[in-house]
Amino acid sequence: MPQKLEDVLDYFLPGAAAPASPARAMADSSEGSQRTHPPTSDWGLDASPRARAGRPAALPIIALPIGDRDVVHAAFAWNLAVEFARCGANATLLAPADPAAASLWPPSGRGPIGAELELVPATNLRELNRAALDIAVSRAADAPNGGVVLARVPPAWLNGMSEGRALLRWVLLFAATESKDLRETYGLAKRVLRAGPTPRIGITIHGVRHIDEAERAFSRLADTAQRHLGHAVVSYGLLMDDLHIYRAIVAHRPIGLEHPQSRAARALRDVARLLLEDAQGPAHG
Amino acid sequence: MADLALAEPLRRSQLVEGLRSRLAEIVPTLRVIAEGVLGADSSIDFVGVEPTGRAVLILIGEEGDDLELIGRAIAQRAWVEPRMRDWIQLAPDLGLRPGAGARSVVLCPSFRYETEAAAAALGSGTVSLVRYRTVQSGGRLEILIEPVAREIARVPTPPRPVDPASPAFRTGLSHEDLGLTAEEYVAFE
Repeated sequence: MPQKLEDVLDYFLPGAAAPASPARAMADSSEGSQRTHPPTSDWGLDASPRARAGRPAALPIIALPIGDRDVVHAAFAWNLAVEFARCGANATLLAPADPAAASLWPPSGRGPIGAELELVPATNLRELNRAALDIAVSRAADAPNGGVVLARVPPAWLNGMSEGRALLRWVLLFAATESKDLRETYGLAKRVLRAGPTPRIGITIHGVRHIDEAERAFSRLADTAQRHLGHAVVSYGLLMDDLHIYRAIVAHRPIGLEHPQSRAARALRDVARLLLEDAQGPAHG
Repeated sequence: MADLALAEPLRRSQLVEGLRSRLAEIVPTLRVIAEGVLGADSSIDFVGVEPTGRAVLILIGEEGDDLELIGRAIAQRAWVEPRMRDWIQLAPDLGLRPGAGARSVVLCPSFRYETEAAAAALGSGTVSLVRYRTVQSGGRLEILIEPVAREIARVPTPPRPVDPASPAFRTGLSHEDLGLTAEEYVAFE
């Protein structure tokens, strides 16, 4: 449990957030080929005494801007939460309890292998940030192997208002490879940067059949963000286009449990590993 | 003002008779062209035509009939539409127009949520719901009718024409929301 205000102050004060290491971010950008096909061996979180002793006061929060009708990205978010749980991490997906977006989610509460969906009555970024922080702090106490809180942010809330911008310290964006999707993802990154100067913006490319497609798409995003926004976005791998994904979306069932050996499930696991790896890092762990 | 009290349900023949004179309140421009038409395995109480040439099929039900009736309303509409050309040939002066289609109006004392949801899901111009109540007003029986407003509220708005300048993204944001400069835009050509 957090012992002092300083333990959690970082979450209330966006300026106090440690920026992502430029070296790491640039390495991530330039290591697209490496990050887009990470190893697929079984994942083991660092549950060593050192890791346990360094248990954070609050779990890292990853903000996911997802539209009210974007069932595909919402399904990715929920599936990622399930993958985190499969890896032994504490996993909570938090979303505003918005009737307009009700179709995005399975029933709230604890789901497969402990992954949890929490719908909270937040109506703006500030309230969502507060709810996410509450969960991040309370879950940290029960997370000997660490964990992550995913927070779905309605994109309309990324409107440059400063209140609640601490929630945007670490943002994950999903992007398909079409020009329109890349523009949208880039535009979202731009909106996130307007809210705060030092967020970590991660990109997961989806809907690809070959790794080089994902690499090209990520490079376009990364190059444009560097050139026009002066910001290095980070690659968080790729999600393969796979019929299993769409079947899982329709059925509201985690693909990692329904079809654990499918390409889509393996890719999803890899993305989860990359995120967990960074969640345990000094900037966020 | 005379005292109003809910009356016992009317016999079906009385009900149909009582509603016949009220149809213009339900569909103001309606002209009734047939009664008791045997359609898809059951009877259509009234068939009318609007000035546009569209056929209007009116089905009257009693308490608890609403769910069944909405199914019949769809079936009757599907039965009538392909026959409209034949009717026009047989009676060109009816006012029906080929291709104008048909819609249904269901009258019942009350509607369940599922019925309203079904009507809304069908979209505007498919099935309208109208509630009626028989009341005692002084010494007379009267039928009060009331369109179900909920249906109107739930009718999905027609899709807006696509504006190539501001296509909606899956985030629900527009180009203006994303704020890309021309240079940024072409970077993703």
